[in-house]
Amino acid sequence: MNIILRAASVCAVMLWGWAGAAQAALPPEQVLQNWYRLMLELVRHTPTYSPPVASRAFAYVGITGFEAVAGGSDDLQTLAGQINGLTALPARDAALAYDDGVVLQAALSTAVKTFFSNTGPTGQRAMAAMERVLTEKTAAGLPGDVTARSRALGVAVAQHVVSWSLTDGGAVVENMGFPYDYALGTAPGAWVPTSRIVQQQKPLLPKWGNNRTFAMPNGATCGLPPPPAYSVEPGSAFYAEAKEVYDTVKSLTAEQREIARFWSDDPMLSPTPPGHWISIALQVQNSTDAPLAEQVDLQARLGIALADAFIGCWHAKFEYDLLRPVTYIRATMDPKWEPLLNTPPFPEYPSGHSTQSGAAAEVLTDFFGEDFAFEDATHLDDGLAPRRFPSFWAAAQEAGMSRLYGGIHFRSAIDRGLEQGRCIGRYVTALQTRIR
Amino acid sequence: MMASGILPVAALSLVTGGLGMAWAEETPVIPRFVEEGGITSIYEGEWEYMVGGGAATFDCNGDGFPEMLLAGGTAPATLYRNVSTRGGPLRFAAEPGGLEIDRVAGAYPLDIDSDGVTDIILLRVGENLVMRGLGNCRFERANKAWGFDGGDAWSTAFAATWERGAAWPTLAIGNYVDRKEEAFPWGSCTDNWLHRPNRAGTGFAPPLPLTPSYCALSMLFTDWNRSGTPGLRVSNDREYYKGGTEQMWRIEPGAKPVLYGEADGWKTLKIWGMGIASHDLNFDGYPEYFLTSMADNKLQTLAVVPETGAPKPAYADVAFARGAIAQRPYMGDDLRPSTAWHAQFEDVNNDGLADLFVAKGNVAKMPDFAEKDPNNLLLQRPDGTFLESGGLSGVGSTRIARGAALVDFNLDGLLDLVVVNRWEPAELWRNTTADAGNWLQLRLRQPGPNPDAIGSWIEVRLGDVVQRREVTSGGGHAGGSLGWWHMGLGAEKAPEIRVIWPDGSAGAWQRVEANAFYDVGRDSTARPWLPPR
Repeated sequence: MNIILRAASVCAVMLWGWAGAAQAALPPEQVLQNWYRLMLELVRHTPTYSPPVASRAFAYVGITGFEAVAGGSDDLQTLAGQINGLTALPARDAALAYDDGVVLQAALSTAVKTFFSNTGPTGQRAMAAMERVLTEKTAAGLPGDVTARSRALGVAVAQHVVSWSLTDGGAVVENMGFPYDYALGTAPGAWVPTSRIVQQQKPLLPKWGNNRTFAMPNGATCGLPPPPAYSVEPGSAFYAEAKEVYDTVKSLTAEQREIARFWSDDPMLSPTPPGHWISIALQVQNSTDAPLAEQVDLQARLGIALADAFIGCWHAKFEYDLLRPVTYIRATMDPKWEPLLNTPPFPEYPSGHSTQSGAAAEVLTDFFGEDFAFEDATHLDDGLAPRRFPSFWAAAQEAGMSRLYGGIHFRSAIDRGLEQGRCIGRYVTALQTRIR
Repeated sequence: MMASGILPVAALSLVTGGLGMAWAEETPVIPRFVEEGGITSIYEGEWEYMVGGGAATFDCNGDGFPEMLLAGGTAPATLYRNVSTRGGPLRFAAEPGGLEIDRVAGAYPLDIDSDGVTDIILLRVGENLVMRGLGNCRFERANKAWGFDGGDAWSTAFAATWERGAAWPTLAIGNYVDRKEEAFPWGSCTDNWLHRPNRAGTGFAPPLPLTPSYCALSMLFTDWNRSGTPGLRVSNDREYYKGGTEQMWRIEPGAKPVLYGEADGWKTLKIWGMGIASHDLNFDGYPEYFLTSMADNKLQTLAVVPETGAPKPAYADVAFARGAIAQRPYMGDDLRPSTAWHAQFEDVNNDGLADLFVAKGNVAKMPDFAEKDPNNLLLQRPDGTFLESGGLSGVGSTRIARGAALVDFNLDGLLDLVVVNRWEPAELWRNTTADAGNWLQLRLRQPGPNPDAIGSWIEVRLGDVVQRREVTSGGGHAGGSLGWWHMGLGAEKAPEIRVIWPDGSAGAWQRVEANAFYDVGRDSTARPWLPPR
């Protein structure tokens, strides 16, 4: 397939103001799109939502949406029993009528309010407004008993997922994920803080790699070989990788600079890297008019892949505890060197954006095919022009390389991160979500 | 051209060097503040009042004692007449005088019509108001009379200047989120406005939108490069903008405002900008800027000051190095990051070094941020670093603070403090520091427009350095002061002073006595002034 999807910014969808035919209920697809659009904003505007934390929320909300729809679908197969620790969800009474829109609205509303409970007053106000309007619009024209029953089921499905989520190791995030106590590594080449921000004198979420995974067995499942042996010798492989970063950043082309900015996806200034891939999926779904079952299937799988990618990546990051290019380059090459992007406050190897982009690309390719061309307008509102890609893997590879252009990762972290993502993604594509 | 009176630069870099002032103790004198009662004003309201809550101080009855106007949010603003006596307890009486208006988020004093009576700008959720001072703390609406279009926005920032040759001031008003956006308010920042004088010289022209606008929470006209023409710094809340950054506008008389950009040296900085404080901390003639935010705050100093002057607007952040980062509570067991609002540099112990007060308080109940978030009082040491004294000095309240003012309410030479709190009564503290240094307070007057000489620089020679403060209108968070300009003198008993007036002309150096008030006129010697009671 070679379809170029154009102008598919999530924000351009504008479903919020939907005013369908009088007394016609809002279609469930639009319930899904509206909540996801809001989630992308909440991720950006809730300080706790560093990329790993955001990926976790996308996974649980995705699973909630999937199960809410799967319970009434002849095509979808529950994930209970397939992903770690998820037991059978509340079921519909086969003798009674339910409305998918109401079920989905109640489920997503409950899930989003839970997983974003610590957002600020504006986020709370937005969630309340979304819930109020969508609850009303999904119930339009429906018998009262159907609405009540559907709503109760949606809430029950969400509560089941929320209850399950509490035991995964990632439910409580204090101090925005920065530990109050942490002993920095002392081995040569160990990570050291790179910013002057006080919180960031400790690394982000050092125990995240121990969290319960979703589709793969555990955080060590897709382990990596070690990075090149640390050395400050100019002839060493490690020095060569650092020199590549140094030389590249010094001679960036306009496009390389644009690429670095496009995939920068900074927490609190963007929907974060996992949100960027969620945004891509939404844009593609909008442009292809995908049916509801496909939409919830994709968002569940993508959320799971992103969440597992961050667990696996973080497991490796704290296994290898490698310093960042800015630390090494200033010590060995140029004391005044500045990377283009802000260096993230955690160890370097592997690249988180690479791992999660590889996992996302694996899932999206499984859904849409190898040569699915698309245009990504995620950052249009922030003044960054859309970029076009011939395939999801091409986008993932560019996302990985953006970290080298930005001066925050060495090449090994990118290449092996992408491969780690591919490995993690394959556990997700192996899930059985369709009744065959 | 550089204004006169600038020291040769770079010798006392804030980035690299200490200040080495003989009279400033290595460990600063810890000030003592005693809480005073009698202030019941509360900044009320929900979402539309999560920002704002300003305090304005000014003398509206001519007795030299500063009154205060406290924003009330959904409740009416309250004007408190100062009935204190010199050196005595702080005493205020609520005064209905026309300012008891609701939906007020902020307030700034300014003699807009240059008639010698202070007027007030009210920033509101809704129509902004200019209130003409009538004397004896009476005010009336003057939007119509002065051609001021108050608009209908969520106004949250203010700054004023007199552009060269203008009879009326130029008012910059910062606006926040489109409050009608319920589910998707992010990215909905509404235009800031520049109210310039009309051509007839009778008031204001229709406001000019300062686009792009990024949800400003503080603005300040400041002569950052000592060119004689202040730029407009705008501190913006990244929570709501998309594609935004901190901003500075080049505003030349008669010309369209132009943003400083990367080609000028201005760097992108994205913070939850909430307040601006400025002071020349390193005695190089150029102001440093403290920008309040959530978690880490910023203290900016010019990255490079060429020998020839004319620096580029490129700033280095030295908050971490100088101990002024104030990123989380320094006492109590709530270690979550702080939320900072009003900031103000003043010398609270009169040791000759500007200190820094920062008002703290959670936005509402954001669980990622400290709920018990004490205000900071950072005392500057001689080496330019800061020592936290909020707890020891008594002002480390954990109420949900917003606006504030450090002002000498009882005219004893020690700066007192008022803090406006969200959902709780404002707090008032009297500075009773026993072993503070000497001080000086000046009030500027010039004939014609801009009688309070906004845009001047006051200089006080202390040993081998010159202490400078820029006379500004704006900044802080949602409130500001007009009246006496205070300088700590340390051990100095007879300092030399001069004023660089807004047009760049320098008054003569003249020696004055410490611990006294002076009115300084444009072409006259400083005249001592004594409090009437």
